[in-house]
Amino acid sequence: MLVHSRTGRWTAWALFAVLFVPLFALPLLVILAASFSTHWSGAFPSGPTAAHYTAAVRGESLQALTTSLITAVTASVIALTVGTWAALAAAALGKKGRRVLDALFMLPVAVPSVVVGLAVLVAFSQPPMLLNGTRWIVILAHTVLVTAFAHQSVSAAIRRLDPMYEQAAASLGARPSYVLLRVKLPLLLPSLNAAAGLCFALSMGELSATMMLYPPDWTPLPVLIFTATDRGSLFTGSALAVVLMAATLLALLAVSRIRTRASYR
Amino acid sequence: MPTTVPVWLWALPPVAVLAVVFLYPLALVVQESLAPGAYAEVLASVSFREALVTTMWLAVASTVGCLVLGFVLALVIAFVPFPGGKAVSKFIDVFLSFPSFLITLALLFLYGTVGMANGIWTDVTGDPAGPFRFLSTPWGVLLAEITYFTPFVMRPLLAAFSQMETAQLEVASSLGARPLRIVRQVILPEALPALAAGGSLVLVMCLNEFGIVLFTGAKGVTTLPMLVYGKAILESDYAAACVVAVVNVALSVGLYVLYRGVSRRAGA
Amino acid sequence: MTSGIRFDGVTVTYGSNTVLDSLDLTVEPGEAMALLGPSGSGKTTALRAVAGFVRPASGRVLIGDRDVTALPPYKRGIGMVVQQYALFPHLKVEANVAFGLKAQKVPKGEIPGRVAEALEMTGMAAYAQRHPRELSGGQQQRVAIARALAIRPRVLLLDEPLSALDAQLRSGMLAELARLHRELPDVSILYVTHDQVEALTLADRIAVMDRARLQDCGTPQDLYRRPRTEFTASFVGNANLLPVTVGAGGVSFEGVSLDVPVSEALPGAGATLCVRPHLVGLGPGPNALSGRIAEVQWRGSTHRLYVEVGGHRVKADVRELRETPPLGAEVTLHFAPDDAVLLSAGVGND
Repeated sequence: MLVHSRTGRWTAWALFAVLFVPLFALPLLVILAASFSTHWSGAFPSGPTAAHYTAAVRGESLQALTTSLITAVTASVIALTVGTWAALAAAALGKKGRRVLDALFMLPVAVPSVVVGLAVLVAFSQPPMLLNGTRWIVILAHTVLVTAFAHQSVSAAIRRLDPMYEQAAASLGARPSYVLLRVKLPLLLPSLNAAAGLCFALSMGELSATMMLYPPDWTPLPVLIFTATDRGSLFTGSALAVVLMAATLLALLAVSRIRTRASYR
Repeated sequence: MPTTVPVWLWALPPVAVLAVVFLYPLALVVQESLAPGAYAEVLASVSFREALVTTMWLAVASTVGCLVLGFVLALVIAFVPFPGGKAVSKFIDVFLSFPSFLITLALLFLYGTVGMANGIWTDVTGDPAGPFRFLSTPWGVLLAEITYFTPFVMRPLLAAFSQMETAQLEVASSLGARPLRIVRQVILPEALPALAAGGSLVLVMCLNEFGIVLFTGAKGVTTLPMLVYGKAILESDYAAACVVAVVNVALSVGLYVLYRGVSRRAGA
Repeated sequence: MTSGIRFDGVTVTYGSNTVLDSLDLTVEPGEAMALLGPSGSGKTTALRAVAGFVRPASGRVLIGDRDVTALPPYKRGIGMVVQQYALFPHLKVEANVAFGLKAQKVPKGEIPGRVAEALEMTGMAAYAQRHPRELSGGQQQRVAIARALAIRPRVLLLDEPLSALDAQLRSGMLAELARLHRELPDVSILYVTHDQVEALTLADRIAVMDRARLQDCGTPQDLYRRPRTEFTASFVGNANLLPVTVGAGGVSFEGVSLDVPVSEALPGAGATLCVRPHLVGLGPGPNALSGRIAEVQWRGSTHRLYVEVGGHRVKADVRELRETPPLGAEVTLHFAPDDAVLLSAGVGND
């Protein structure tokens, strides 16, 4: 305990509330309130309605949601596979090799998403890999962007994994492939789950690279939110944003449930 | 007995995938940027220079704001515990998983011309036009960036604080040190690595932020990522877009390397 | 089939640091050998060289007649138990014990029987369906031993297996291990420990290690009664080491001439006399040394006296005294000639 006096403590808590509530809690509440309103000209929104939601689960909105979900799941699965493979391969390499591999897979974090979008656009708009105009270019860009995070969290988990399990397995006569399948991957499962949740959330909210790449028939939710607000439909945009947040939260919740069941210690 | 595959061979498939989908495209961007005259033209243009300056000062100011705000908030959560503190930490984790542009969207309702703040002003003073009209200026972007990125500073800080020995604080306060003195002489030195790591991460992310600026919809605020988007998609000037992209990548990769160095030393 | 372990000039280095210096040691088939030494003495490195987790810079490791130096761990046919148990947390006890059998593709029909046998042997049969996290430390260690025994190893490596257990559990497990050693006469055991009691209780022979080198090797009785180096004498049994001079007139300590057996011709200058504290008596007798009490520790059934004899502290463990002698009191100590061992100075201290 840092502050011992009652007044001191209340002052600290008041300061916290004054900073925290308007900056972090209010924005999310405001979006939620707006999504149920038709007007906002004054201190509070008015004209309560659920119409934005009935619209949000139909037509192009529903399509955008499924587009986002498919994109996020596909990108996460590919990213997790590639990222985990790379992390495992890096862990088996010597110190130098590991650093090179880690640096390579970390690079997409440092490169602006817009530039990733531009690079993918430049590279895949020409034969032999003509993907521009298809959904695959969006999925590909998302995969690139989230692979780095998958790799980062899985390699951190591998570093935390006590080598004694691997050694115990080896002393019992298990070959490396058996150790990988029966010991390492099961022990990494909680971290893989967490990484999957992270990838999914990032992909669901991705806007920068998507704006450069999306074809008309593959419009993810964030793009739809932007076009809605851009043409002034702030309340529809808010409802879509709530749908986006809810979908992300649900997925994270599901993943964390798996994680608690899969954590052994 | 099958001959065992050399270890480095296992690293090839993922590296090959990365090369095709990321390294090769990035190389193409660099190649495209080398079109004759592209650099000279872009670097000489006013819009580029303005975007560079705007991007830099916004990123630096946001980072400073996030550091100060994040430090104060994390300090209260960790050392002046209150019921619900755990829930606040959870909330911060959730906050991190939402896209950044939601903040700008929310700010439109809070500080927009017909938003909550101006509405309250009108109700109180009777003045039909409220005083809050900073949203479409760089200040709006700054507020949104500080809001969105502060949790990225708080997370490593909270982790660092949770590892701090409370005994140290108790000894310090038993020796008669006042809270502010303890913060300055005991907590701050311990938190410096986490602050440095979190701060440099936020700096890089601010340099690369796109969603917040796009949603602000302000013509007056152009950052480097916005310029890349504008040149490529709106003007179809790919050579210029690639030049801006290379400059942006150089800036942020340079800073990211710095961040990795700092966070490795901090053990994060 | 039985097979021993042989270290043939095994040297292990980390960078410029030599952590094991040309170790020559043979563990006979069916023998229990303890590697005893303080931390950093190289004992664990020696064990890990047998397991295959460290690659020697030079020398060979043999299991039976087979040179295993270049073999990966999973081809060595060893059972290993470590301090932290290393049970697989995601597998039940049964699956943990079956792990090695499945990995080595033992016929499916055989596995349940061998798992049951191993669990029976360690008294863990009732816990087959538990997860490791539901077991106490002692139970986890039993499962770890069962897991190592299930593969019927020729060689069992135990790396400080009791260090994580509390004192009471430790003595129980020590008896269990001794029983297993009797029941499995074909299994050679290499047992790494820093605890002399464990080594003395369990081992047929003890190899004493210090600073990356083998210092001494022999049966427990041999090492305890006739240590060959100062290090062994002090590490095993915490003996008094008194600097003495050996001259034509015999052995003398602080000007007092002593009656001790001089087996070898020792050089004129220095030697070290080794006497166990519990063999030092209070009061007059042969080899009497007088001094002042510097410290008294009551240890229940005994008193440990530290007596200042001419600048040296002599330890004596005597039966509990009715009256604790005051500090500074003048006392006389003695020991029987046969209870002392003369070591030439500097042996084992190079």
